[in-house]
Amino acid sequence: MKSIKTLSIALLSLFLLGGCELNELDNYEGPNASINGGIYDQETGELIQQDIINGMQIEYTEHGYDNPQIQYVVVKNDGTYRNNLMFAGTYTIRPVRGNFVPVESEEIVVKGNTVKNFEVQPYIRVRNVQIEKQGNKVVATFNLDQTVTNKVSRIGLFAHQEPTVGAPLNAVASVVNFNQVSNDVTQYRLEINLEANSGNLKPGNKYYFRVGALIDAPEAKYNYAPPVLLEI
Amino acid sequence: MKNRSFTYLLIALLLGTFSSCNDTLDVEPKNKVPAEAVLSDPSGIRSYLANMYYELPVEDFVYFPRAGFNARGNTGSLSLSQYGLEAIHSEWPNWNEFNNQWWGRGYQLNRDINLLEESAAKVDFSEAERKGIEGEIAFLRAYTYYGLVKRYGGVPIVTENQDYTTDWESLRVPRNTEKETWDFVLAQLDIAFEKLPETRQSVDESKRRATKWAAAGLKSRVALHAASVAKYWDRAPLSGEAVSAGLVGMPASEANRYYQEAIAASEAVINSGQFGLYMSSPANPQEAAKNYQKLFMEPNDALTEVLFMKGYGYAGGPLAHDYDGWNNPNQTGEGFPHVGRTNPVLELVDQYESYEHPGEAAPIVTTTDGQVQLGEFNPSAEYLRFASPEEIFEGKDARFFASVIHPGAEWKGTEIVIQGGIVRPDGSVLSTKGSVEHNGTTYHAYGAATTNQYSGFDGTPNMTRTGFLMKKFLDEGASINTWLQSTTDFIDIRYAEVLLNYAEAVAESGLGNADLAAQGLNAIRRRAGHTVDIPLTLENVLRERSVELAFENKEYWDLIRRRTYHQIFNNYVKTALVPMLDLRGEEPAYIYIRKKVPGAQPNTFPERDYYRSIPGVNNNGVIQNPQH
Repeated sequence: MKSIKTLSIALLSLFLLGGCELNELDNYEGPNASINGGIYDQETGELIQQDIINGMQIEYTEHGYDNPQIQYVVVKNDGTYRNNLMFAGTYTIRPVRGNFVPVESEEIVVKGNTVKNFEVQPYIRVRNVQIEKQGNKVVATFNLDQTVTNKVSRIGLFAHQEPTVGAPLNAVASVVNFNQVSNDVTQYRLEINLEANSGNLKPGNKYYFRVGALIDAPEAKYNYAPPVLLEI
Repeated sequence: MKNRSFTYLLIALLLGTFSSCNDTLDVEPKNKVPAEAVLSDPSGIRSYLANMYYELPVEDFVYFPRAGFNARGNTGSLSLSQYGLEAIHSEWPNWNEFNNQWWGRGYQLNRDINLLEESAAKVDFSEAERKGIEGEIAFLRAYTYYGLVKRYGGVPIVTENQDYTTDWESLRVPRNTEKETWDFVLAQLDIAFEKLPETRQSVDESKRRATKWAAAGLKSRVALHAASVAKYWDRAPLSGEAVSAGLVGMPASEANRYYQEAIAASEAVINSGQFGLYMSSPANPQEAAKNYQKLFMEPNDALTEVLFMKGYGYAGGPLAHDYDGWNNPNQTGEGFPHVGRTNPVLELVDQYESYEHPGEAAPIVTTTDGQVQLGEFNPSAEYLRFASPEEIFEGKDARFFASVIHPGAEWKGTEIVIQGGIVRPDGSVLSTKGSVEHNGTTYHAYGAATTNQYSGFDGTPNMTRTGFLMKKFLDEGASINTWLQSTTDFIDIRYAEVLLNYAEAVAESGLGNADLAAQGLNAIRRRAGHTVDIPLTLENVLRERSVELAFENKEYWDLIRRRTYHQIFNNYVKTALVPMLDLRGEEPAYIYIRKKVPGAQPNTFPERDYYRSIPGVNNNGVIQNPQH
């Protein structure tokens, strides 16, 4: 009697375990590779400044699957990116929806610590940026060097307490609907009135200021100069 | 012996288990009606139809983008109007999850419609009845695919019932293009318009069940949506596989064809002579406000304006709703557990014109310099001072008073107290709970001593955080102290919307009859107590649309179809009007601060959200929308 009982329990357990395949561990290996790099200006070799919110992304799909899901990496403000949780393998990769002339996708092999830089042609180079506090204003002057013939739709001066400041993240913005082709000799000027914005920019505090310009092209993002920290 | 009997028992049980396959248990369940019985009989088909109207994606009092259609119970009341520039939620001002899925339920409804069509073909109807059912099927199908195409762009068009098979590939239908899908919806509405009756047996039925005019009204809405997507796609172009295959997006060259369709459908309604504006010529703005409030409170008294409506009933049962409960001011909460949820924002309030300056928005001016700007209380600014809280709103459009509860408004016989703080005689501010003694009187920060005597700004979810509360649709005569007590009907398609669709299509395309469009626009304004006609311009039409259709769940789709969502919601915080009691002068006075909604963070609309993500693409094999 006892042996039957024991046997039944043993058999039952075996069936249950066998049925649910609980004896099989999830023993696939985790991500074993990483990728990093930057988006560089093909002419000057400088990193191209980006936005994090609503910014450009790098799109990639892994080879060897039937219906591969498109995956994305977000690029940091300074134009660099990093994904430490990649699976080694062959990928089709392409930076998309950026502030540069669209590029073709490339095939790359990711293994160990792979470095992949992209050299692109930015729509606009924001140059000779001077951002200063003048009286109760913050004044930015700059030149625009556009590399395509489209119009520049907007130019803006953005302020925020974080260095990730830009069009999608700011406490105060001074944006002008530009809608014309810029030239590289004119000095452009934007201002933020500190008195009128004293609720958002508190005197005595430090804020980041960043100048940007947006080209009129499908899915284009702002081109920026690096942010400047000012005490106001 | 013992061991043996156990073995026999085991054998017997096993034998029994494996040999008991006879038919004694295969009985028809008594509590269910088999499908064939329902769908083979005319009255069965009619009751089957009733359920389909219930499942139709009508964006009404029980639709919430997160909880879905027919959502009752604790939905949080996160309504569509809180997503755009009409209102914000009192408890979750930072809710920005643009979740608005309807894929699974949409295709379930589509399957039900296909089943109905298949069965109806076999049933013995009279000629007239058959025509009516066919028209109704086309109407239901159009409504369903409109719900899908405005969310997902092009979707698979499946008009035949799919039988279950293990041949998966045959069940996987690829997406049609966005253009094909819009054209399909419009073609179905043409069939519906041709086959449906003008009226039905009773007025009740004519307004709640598809008619020729419901089909024409819906077509005016659908074609305007399609035209706007074509015209404004370039404002937020997307890229990727779905775009290159035409599954989302349409060329601008298609816009005028769709505007023409919207114009034709609207003209059919206008020229039918069957409809009009409820109480179209009021004697004064006060009367206009009463009429307009009644249109939504008692829509059954205003049927001349109704093309299609959704009914509710049986307080306490599953066909009632909770719109009154969720949205009454705290002071008239009457014991409902969650109140004051929908808080109209200043952006909407500013849109309501003043009768003194017809044809332009009338932003609330708070300072003596007449400038309108945002900011915290500034002790050196010269604020306009008012003896009573409602004075600042004097002269505004009647629809403002009928749609919004403002500080000092009278509602259900109670003066609604909305106050955000006190400016002490020395110019310092008290904006937390507390009081100030001044000249022998005690003044409370939120306007009254105890929580049940005021309705705003103390930061709890039952209080407005914008200075305003919603009034439209609320039943001023009702007392709501528990769940499912509201039975106010919802007008889905009304004549004023058709006039506004017409005006927009004409203003956008230059097609159609500009005089007729201007007449319609001004008729809506006259009903609201205006006496001066304004010209037909796109700006006038859009402003009129936002105030006339406020809180009717249209504005969200206006932002989507006109591709202005990402332009407005770019690092954007909605704004509030905070009344404060200023004790600095001789007499206490009310001053108003225009500022960002307290507690609200900047919000950015991602352009990919002009289309929703399609669930289950790994199984259904369709191409996903861009960036999802």
